[in-house]
Amino acid sequence: MTDIEALLQRLNENQVEFIVAGGVAALAHGSARLMHDLDIIYRRSPQNLDRLVLSLCDLKPYPHGALPGLPFLWNRAILKHGLNFILDTSLGLIDLLGEIPGGGRYEDLVLESAELEMFSGISKCLSLDQLIRAKRAAGRPKDLDALAELEALREESGSTHG
Amino acid sequence: MSDVDDDWRDPVVEVYKRDIDRTLLRANLKLTVTERLQNAMQHARFADELRRAGRELRARSR
Repeated sequence: MTDIEALLQRLNENQVEFIVAGGVAALAHGSARLMHDLDIIYRRSPQNLDRLVLSLCDLKPYPHGALPGLPFLWNRAILKHGLNFILDTSLGLIDLLGEIPGGGRYEDLVLESAELEMFSGISKCLSLDQLIRAKRAAGRPKDLDALAELEALREESGSTHG
Repeated sequence: MSDVDDDWRDPVVEVYKRDIDRTLLRANLKLTVTERLQNAMQHARFADELRRAGRELRARSR
């Protein structure tokens, strides 16, 4: 199980600039679905890449689903030369997204994102409208249930900008 | 994403919406964000435990 609280605490303690996305963001807005991992959209500035590396370095990050024993090095270079990463850590699964369909990069999303109190800290989180746009853009049949739930949540919360 | 109309309704999604349990959503909306996440983590722990128990049972029955 992914320890969302501990992962968020680490990211915040290391002042990583990130926005919570995916299932955890949907849960934060009231979704009743199960969550499997923590998805974050991270800012790709050099300083933020260093903070992200530091925040996960002692959690043994390793590419999810990859063969064991690969010479995977967790450092700024690997982040700089990639974009999206799905990592197993000792606190569970984390998806690091440099960009999302229907939303773009951190800088494109941060202004409209919501600031929510999650556990003992405040974290930026995709707004309900941003989540819906991202799900629509992904266009995956498996997301139709989730998209329907997000739209129902928007109707129930009486907001179009939640 | 200025070309996106947030109020647009996809007829396919409207069909899926009929099966959404809105009582669950309304109950969640009464909770704080932290309470929603704590509940989700409890459910995930429970699901993990069920999976572990299932694995053990299958191993014992071999």
